[in-house]
Amino acid sequence: MKKFHLNEKRLGYLMILPSIILVVLITLWPVAQSFYNSLFDYRLNDPTRSERMLSANMDLERYVDNYFYIDSQLSNLEGSADGDDIATIQQARETIEGFHSELASDSEINAKMEQIDEMLMNFQPISDSDLKYAKLDNDFAEDYRTALNSISEELQVMAGEADNEDLAQNYEQTSSLIEATSTNILESNFIGFSNYAKYLQDGRMWKSLSNTMIFTIASVAFELVLGLAVALLINRTFSGRGIVRASVLIPWAIPTAVGAMMWGFLLDGQTGVIAHYFNEWNLIPNSSWLLSTSSGGMFSIIFADVWKTTPYMALLLLAGLQTIPNSLYEASDVDGANKFQQFFKITLPLLKSSILVALLFRTLDAFRVFDLIYVLTGGGPANATESISIYAYITLFSQQNFGEGSVLSVIVFLAVALISFIYVRLIGSDLFAGRTK
Amino acid sequence: MNKRAGIGFYIFLIIFVFLVMFPFIWVFLTSIKPVGEIFTSFKWFTTNPTTESYEAAVTNRPLLRYMLNSFVVSTVTTILAVGCAAFASYAVTRLPIKGKGLFLGVILAASMFPQVAVISPIFNIVTELGLRNSYTGLVIPYMTISLPLSIWILSTFFQKIPFELEESAKLDGASPFQTFRKIILPLATPGIFTTAILVFIAAWNEYLFALTINSDDVWRTVPVGISMYQSEYSVPWGDISAATVIVTIPIVILVLIFQRRIVSGLTSGSVKE
Repeated sequence: MKKFHLNEKRLGYLMILPSIILVVLITLWPVAQSFYNSLFDYRLNDPTRSERMLSANMDLERYVDNYFYIDSQLSNLEGSADGDDIATIQQARETIEGFHSELASDSEINAKMEQIDEMLMNFQPISDSDLKYAKLDNDFAEDYRTALNSISEELQVMAGEADNEDLAQNYEQTSSLIEATSTNILESNFIGFSNYAKYLQDGRMWKSLSNTMIFTIASVAFELVLGLAVALLINRTFSGRGIVRASVLIPWAIPTAVGAMMWGFLLDGQTGVIAHYFNEWNLIPNSSWLLSTSSGGMFSIIFADVWKTTPYMALLLLAGLQTIPNSLYEASDVDGANKFQQFFKITLPLLKSSILVALLFRTLDAFRVFDLIYVLTGGGPANATESISIYAYITLFSQQNFGEGSVLSVIVFLAVALISFIYVRLIGSDLFAGRTK
Repeated sequence: MNKRAGIGFYIFLIIFVFLVMFPFIWVFLTSIKPVGEIFTSFKWFTTNPTTESYEAAVTNRPLLRYMLNSFVVSTVTTILAVGCAAFASYAVTRLPIKGKGLFLGVILAASMFPQVAVISPIFNIVTELGLRNSYTGLVIPYMTISLPLSIWILSTFFQKIPFELEESAKLDGASPFQTFRKIILPLATPGIFTTAILVFIAAWNEYLFALTINSDDVWRTVPVGISMYQSEYSVPWGDISAATVIVTIPIVILVLIFQRRIVSGLTSGSVKE
């Protein structure tokens, strides 16, 4: 019997393993990465900051290519310059050579440079980022950069003083080549918590956070009240339950983006039938109010969300209602309790855990809202309906700023963690009931 | 509360169903109007219904391709997620292993993770693997949503299967895996099927990952594709309403056939029994 038990255990771990690996790889690891990214000035659209670098780096591909020309251009200048300039140029050349040989004294970097040199000669692109970048000592990188920049400036001055135009142009060219080379030395873009400091003072971040909270609280509150009312009303036997159930499930089942497109049409200021009737009944100031003003926009996204999820809420609460034994109501009838007392003394207390679980999932869903707003209002008008997820998405993918965008992602993550923590404390062990022995 | 339903109740019911269904009704009525009428009047019924919007919806944009993409991605995601989840939920509900509470806690936490918190690293991974604009590139991130969801729902179903059957299988000398395959799996089939429907719907509806990862029009899924019908210059409401009707029909059919199962799946995690 002992052996059998051991096998069972092993089988258990084996069966659970694929799920653990997947969850770690595609959920926990990315969240950690998001946090790590948020500590860098990391932008996909800027070649000097498109990698996360803890120390200074050299873009060897461009450096090797530029260095090849620096040497020949400087000796060229030496031949045509006059007087004191020759000495300055010679010194500049020696400085650069000095730095270059110090760089090449690292055998690994030297080997990389030779390989890159060969590839460049054959016009091969260098796609391997391990080959392309080399780590540098931070002080060396800074010294080399300053040296290159000051040489570039000197040459610029000489260009201004040169008496013939050809010579001036040569100076200019060399100066800009050397300046370009200095940008191949990439500084570390690790900036610690500076991004966080920036966003904690960012008005748009606080605005989007408050938009998200208004949206979450308003939509979840309406959904709960309406959902509970509907659940109480249909908690009885009647014919046609199937039709009601199906009609309630369809808004829940269609993609949010499709629902948002439908509401975009119905609420539109010119062609929208709901905007038209609301205006006729004097519920709104004019028919374009719904989608082109800030309060109208907020109303519209809450309205669309309530339409889509109230039925779902009603279903969850109905299932909870059906577990309350009828005998409780019969007994309280005998005791002379009225409907009101029954609701507050029997229904609500017994429904508490169902309500809390439904609220937990709904609050989190509403707080993460993205597609509804993105499709219906696009965060507009003038960012009045922009949720924190939308702001994060825009920063990440429209501005290609993965460092700052990740800060916003981490803020969403922390807010969601806090909300779940509060709910889980309220619900307690009920959440796991019926899952583990 | 088995009260008898009166006339007033049915009137309420009809109004409720009408309000919930109104957007669909109006969008359907719009989709059969001639395009000119959409922009000029709010009449409910058109006198000369036409299918021109439907023809435009499938020719101006690759709507059928979007549906194929969504179908393939959602099906593959569902099979993989429910497969992994069936093993994990069996282990966690019925086998003597340690750390069950921790595992379920992590799974619940993972199901609560906002997608926007994982999107940029996942985008980097998928780009590095060269999987942008492909089905695999979407199935990978979809697992972040569907796997926790499947484990969460399936574990309630597994828990409900009586333990006596397993005990007697053990006594008859069945190995643990045989017990799983021959006894538990057949009994859990309805639950697995229910879970699969819910996971399929969740994958079908996903927007953020699909928008970011498959940016090429032929690889777009239904939700993203539909939202791209509006251009900067014009909003072709005729095409949009026809496209909406076309993509809603499969879901309506799915819901009509499986409504009981969907409800049982949705409520299994939230109600103590």
